Amino acid sequence: MKYRLIGVALIVLALGLSSHAFATPSNLLNVLRQASLIFLSASGLTLVIVGAGLDLSVGANLGLSACFAAAAIKATGTLSSGFAAGVACGIAVGLLNGLMVTKLRVPPFIATYGMLWMLYGVNYWYMKGDTIYGFPPDFRALGSGDLLGVPIPVYLMTIGLLAGGIFTRYTTYGHEVYAIGANAEAARLSGIPVGSRLILLYTLSGAMAGLAGVIYLARLNSAEAGIGSPLLLPAIAAVLIGGTSLFGGSGGLAGTLIGAIILTLVLNGMNLLGINSNWQPLVTGVIILIAALIDSVTRRHAELHA
Amino acid sequence: MASLARVPGVAFLLVALGIVFSIFAHGFATLSNLLNIGIQSSTLLLLALPMTFIIMTEGLDLSMGAVLGLTGVILASVLVAGNSLIAAFGAALGVGLAFGIANGLFVVKLGLPPFVTTLGTLGIAQGMALVLTGGESVAGIGPALPKLYASKWAGIPFSILVALSMYAVFHFLLYYTRFGNYVFAIGGNREALVLAGVPAGVFHVSVYALAGLMAGFAALLLTGRMNSGHPTAAMGMEFDAIAAVIVGGTERQRGNGWLPGTVLGVLAVGVLRNGLNVMALPSSLQVASIGLLLIAALLIDSIRRIKP
Amino acid sequence: MTSTPLVEMRHISKAFPGVQALKDVSLTAYGSEVHMLVGQNGAGKSTLIKILCGAYRPNQGEFLVHGKPVHIESTRDARRLGIAVIFQEFSLVPYLDIAQNIFLGREFPGRVPCTIDRGRLHSEARRILDLLGMDADTRAKAHRLGVAQQQMVEIAKALSQDARVLVMDEPTAAISDREIETLFQIVRKLRGEGIAIIYISHRMREVFEIGDRITVLRDGANVASLRPSETTLDELVRLMVGREVDTTYRTRFCEQPGETVLDVKALDTKSGIRGASLTVRSGEIVGLAGLVGAGRTELVRAVFGADTVIRGEIVLKGRNLNGSPAEAVTLGMGLVPENRKTEGLALMRSVHDNMLAAGLRQLFPHGWYTFTKARKAVEGLIQRLRVVTTSARRPARLLSGGNQQKVVIGKWLNAGSKVFIFDEPTRGIDVGAKAEIYKVMETLVAEGAAVLVISSELPELVAVCDRAYVLRNKAVVGELSRKDLTEENILRMAMQHG
Repeated sequence: MKYRLIGVALIVLALGLSSHAFATPSNLLNVLRQASLIFLSASGLTLVIVGAGLDLSVGANLGLSACFAAAAIKATGTLSSGFAAGVACGIAVGLLNGLMVTKLRVPPFIATYGMLWMLYGVNYWYMKGDTIYGFPPDFRALGSGDLLGVPIPVYLMTIGLLAGGIFTRYTTYGHEVYAIGANAEAARLSGIPVGSRLILLYTLSGAMAGLAGVIYLARLNSAEAGIGSPLLLPAIAAVLIGGTSLFGGSGGLAGTLIGAIILTLVLNGMNLLGINSNWQPLVTGVIILIAALIDSVTRRHAELHA
Repeated sequence: MASLARVPGVAFLLVALGIVFSIFAHGFATLSNLLNIGIQSSTLLLLALPMTFIIMTEGLDLSMGAVLGLTGVILASVLVAGNSLIAAFGAALGVGLAFGIANGLFVVKLGLPPFVTTLGTLGIAQGMALVLTGGESVAGIGPALPKLYASKWAGIPFSILVALSMYAVFHFLLYYTRFGNYVFAIGGNREALVLAGVPAGVFHVSVYALAGLMAGFAALLLTGRMNSGHPTAAMGMEFDAIAAVIVGGTERQRGNGWLPGTVLGVLAVGVLRNGLNVMALPSSLQVASIGLLLIAALLIDSIRRIKP
Repeated sequence: MTSTPLVEMRHISKAFPGVQALKDVSLTAYGSEVHMLVGQNGAGKSTLIKILCGAYRPNQGEFLVHGKPVHIESTRDARRLGIAVIFQEFSLVPYLDIAQNIFLGREFPGRVPCTIDRGRLHSEARRILDLLGMDADTRAKAHRLGVAQQQMVEIAKALSQDARVLVMDEPTAAISDREIETLFQIVRKLRGEGIAIIYISHRMREVFEIGDRITVLRDGANVASLRPSETTLDELVRLMVGREVDTTYRTRFCEQPGETVLDVKALDTKSGIRGASLTVRSGEIVGLAGLVGAGRTELVRAVFGADTVIRGEIVLKGRNLNGSPAEAVTLGMGLVPENRKTEGLALMRSVHDNMLAAGLRQLFPHGWYTFTKARKAVEGLIQRLRVVTTSARRPARLLSGGNQQKVVIGKWLNAGSKVFIFDEPTRGIDVGAKAEIYKVMETLVAEGAAVLVISSELPELVAVCDRAYVLRNKAVVGELSRKDLTEENILRMAMQHG
C-alpha cells in the first residue's frame, strides 16, 4: 500500500511538472470525479475478485441498469423509481451470475463473459438505437454536481469505501469471503457455506454495478445502449493496480480506490499532454498486463518461501 | 437406441435449428440463403479452429476479435498505400502472429491466467487499431481483394474454399502430427508430456501463436467482405468462436477436442444468426441468443457428465 | 535366475528435513525374479524406489547395473539404464489412443514431413500388447480403459523403452480380483523374459503367490531378505513392526465412556466405502487403522460431509447429518485434515484469521465482528495450545508444521467442537510437537469431547487409543479393544491374508 501511495505522489509530481493545466483545482477535482466513477463501477468487482471469482459483466450490467433507470425515471417522473430499476437490474444480473457459477459450475470467466454478451444484446434490443436524455438537475447533481466544492461522486465514493470497509472488516460475511478467496476448499471444510456465500457475493457485485449505473447516468445525463462497455477495462485495471490479487483472498476496496486514482491520473495526464484518446484502451491493456504480472510474480514468490 | 447416444448433441441442435427456421423464417431454406450462411460462417471458422486447440489446452483467447480488427486495418492500410495483396497479407499475418506469440509467452512462460492476459492484449490490439485509424474505416483498398473475395472456384465461393482448406490443415495437424498429439496431451495430462521429455512449453506457446496467425489470416476474408478495414469490425467474434467450439463438443478439461464438432458449432452459430436475421430480429438479440446457446451447451454438457 | 544381479542398490541413505527416510539400505534385484518389497507405511519403500528411478538423489550410496557402477541422477538416466517404474498415478493422456500413449514423445516419423507413421505406431504397439497378452484395440482411447487396462498400458510403455527392471508400486490397489489374476499372468510372463520385477505390496497373498524373494523394510532399514518358502505371514508381520515408543503419550485411559456422540451406520459412499459402521463415545480416543488405500480418509470425509454418501446414516449427538460440512460444523464436529496446508489452512492468511475461520458464527452470532473479542479469543487459544509465533498476525505459511497443526486444532476449539476427527495429525511433525498434540487430545477427551484419529504410525495409535477400528479395502473389518490393541494385531487385520 505504501508503494502505491508513493506512486500516486510521483505521478502527481510528474504531471504537475509537465503540464500547466494539471495542478489546477478544476482539473484535480475532475480527476477525483472520474476516479470516483471508476471506483463505484469497480467496487462490486473488487469483492468478487477477493472471493477468487471474476465478473466480466460489470460494464454491461452497469450500462443496462443505467438504461432501465433512465426509462423508469422518464416513465414515472420519480427519481426513486430510477434507483429501484437500476439496482433491481443489477441484482438480477448478479444473482444469475452467482447461480451459473455455483449451481451450473460454469467457470466465472466464461459465465460472466457470456452474460456480458447477453446483456449487451438485451441492452441494444431494449434501447432500439434510441438515446434517453434530459434529466432533472437534482438527479444530474449526483454525477455532475458539487457539494461544498467537492464533487458529489467523491462523497459517494467515500460512502462506498466506508460501507465496503465495514462489510469486509466488521461482518462475519466479509471475513468468510476472504477465507473463501484464500482457499475455497479449506473454507468449505471449515464449515463455511461456500455456495451460498458466492451467490451472495455475485448478487452484491451486481447490485453495486446497478447503483454505479444510476450514478453514471446522472453524470452523462443520457443513456444509450453500450454506455457501460468502456468501463470494463478501467474497472479491472483499478482493481489490479490496487493490489487485489486475482488469486483471491487479499486486497480490498481501499486498494481499488488508489488504483482508480492512479489510472485516472495516467489517463488524465495523457489527455493534458495532447495524446490522442484512442491510445487509452491500449494503455489500459498494458497496465492490466503489468499489474497481473506483478500479482503472479508476487504470489509465486510467496508460495516458494512457504 | 445406443447408437443415438453416440451422435453428438450439436448435430441434433443443428438439425433442430434448421427445421425450426425452415418453418418459421420465410426465405431461410433457399439455396442462396444457405450458401450465404456458409460464406458468413467462413471467417468464424478460421477463428474457431485454433480456438479449439486453445480450449483443449484449458486456455482461452479473448483477444482474437480485437486482433482481427487490427490485422484487418493493417491489411487495408497496406493495400491503400499501393502495395500488393501478398505484401498486405504478409503484414496481417505477421502482426497476428506477434500477438499470438505474446499471448502464448504470457500464459505459458509467465503463468498468467489466460483470460486476464488476453483481455489485456485485447485492449492493446483494439487500442492500436483505434490509434492507427482514429476510429474511422480504412477504405479504398483497390480492386484486387474484392475481386478475389467474390471469385468462385469450380462454383465454390472463395471464402468457403478458404474455410474448407484451413479445416483440412487443422484436421491434419490435430490428428496426423506429433503437434496434434501434444495438444491433446497438454490439456489431458501435461505431466505425461514432461515426463516423456517433450518440451511442452514450446508446443503450448505455439497453440496461442497459431490463434494469432489465424486472426491475421482471417483479415483476408473480413476485409474482402467489407471492402475496407475497420477497427471494431470483428468485436465479439471471439465469443462466437468460443461458443461454437464448446457447443461443438470440445471440453474445457481433459484435452477432449473434436474438430468436426467445431465446424458443426460454427454452422449452428451461423444458422442461428442467419435465421434470426431472416426473421428480422435485431442483431442485438442475436448476440443475446448466442449467449443463451453457450449457456445451454454448457448445461447439457454438465448434465451429460453426471450420467456415467 | 542368473547369478549377476541386474541392478544393485548399495548402502543407500536418504534424509529429509526432520526425518531419516533410509538408513544404509541395500537391495539386489535379479533378472527373471519377482522381488517383493514389504513394510509398513513410512518404512521407506516409496523413497527407495523413487531413488531407483532417479526422482530423488540419495545422500549416500551407489548403484550397479549388471555388476558395473553407474550414476542415476535423473529419471532420464534411469530410463536409459532400463529401469522403469509404474506408479499409482498413471501418466496417460485420456483422449489419445493406446498406441499414441505408449509412444508419447517417441513417435515414428512418416514419409510426409511432420506426419506420424501410424501404421508402424500401431503395429509396434500391437506387438507389445500381444507380448503382455492384452487384447485391447490399440486404437482405443485411454479414457475408456479401466484402471487395470490403463496399468497394462503403463507396463507396455515401459517395455517399449526396453525396460529390464520394472518396479511396480501397489499395482493391485485399485483393481478387481479377476484383473489381479491377469496382472499376475503378465508378471510371470515378464519374469520369463528375464526382466527383474520389484513389486511393492502389502497384500500377503500376493507376496506368497508370485514372490521369489522378499525384502522387509522397517523404519528406513533393511531388516530381512528371505524367500517366501522360508517364512510365514506371522514372521513377516513381526519383522515389520517393533519400533520402540520412547514417550508415553497418554497417561489415563478412558474407563467410563460417556454417551455415544457419533454413530455411523452401514455407510456406503461415492468414494467406495461399503457398509461401514462405527461408534464414538464422549471421553474416548478411538483409532482408525489400516494401510494406505484402505479408505480411512474417505470414511472420515464422508462422515464430516465433505464427500457424497450414497447409503447409510450418520448420527451426530442424536441428529442425522445430511452431508454438508457446514451442517456438521454447526453441530459440533471438526476435521483436522490430512493435508493441513491445502485443506486445513489458508496459508496466506494470518494465524488470527485461520483460527477464527470455523467459529465465526459461533463467536459472533449476529454477524458483527469485533476485533477485541476476536483478538482475545485468538490469544487465549495461542496460549492454551502453546503455538509458537511472534505474532498472531503472521501468515500461517511461515509457521512450522507442528504449529500449523496447532492452528488448525485451535480453529476447532474456537468453533466449540465436541467431536474431533484427526487425519494423520502427527505426519511431518517433530517429536516434541507430537507429544503436545497428543496431550491436547487427552485434555479434550478429559473435558468430555470425543476423538476419532487416523494414523499410520502404529506405535502412536497403540499408545494413545482406547480402542480402534481397522479398515481394509474400503470396509471396516474389525474392532480392537484396549487389551487387544497391539501393532501386530492391527497389521494382521489390515493386510489381506490367505
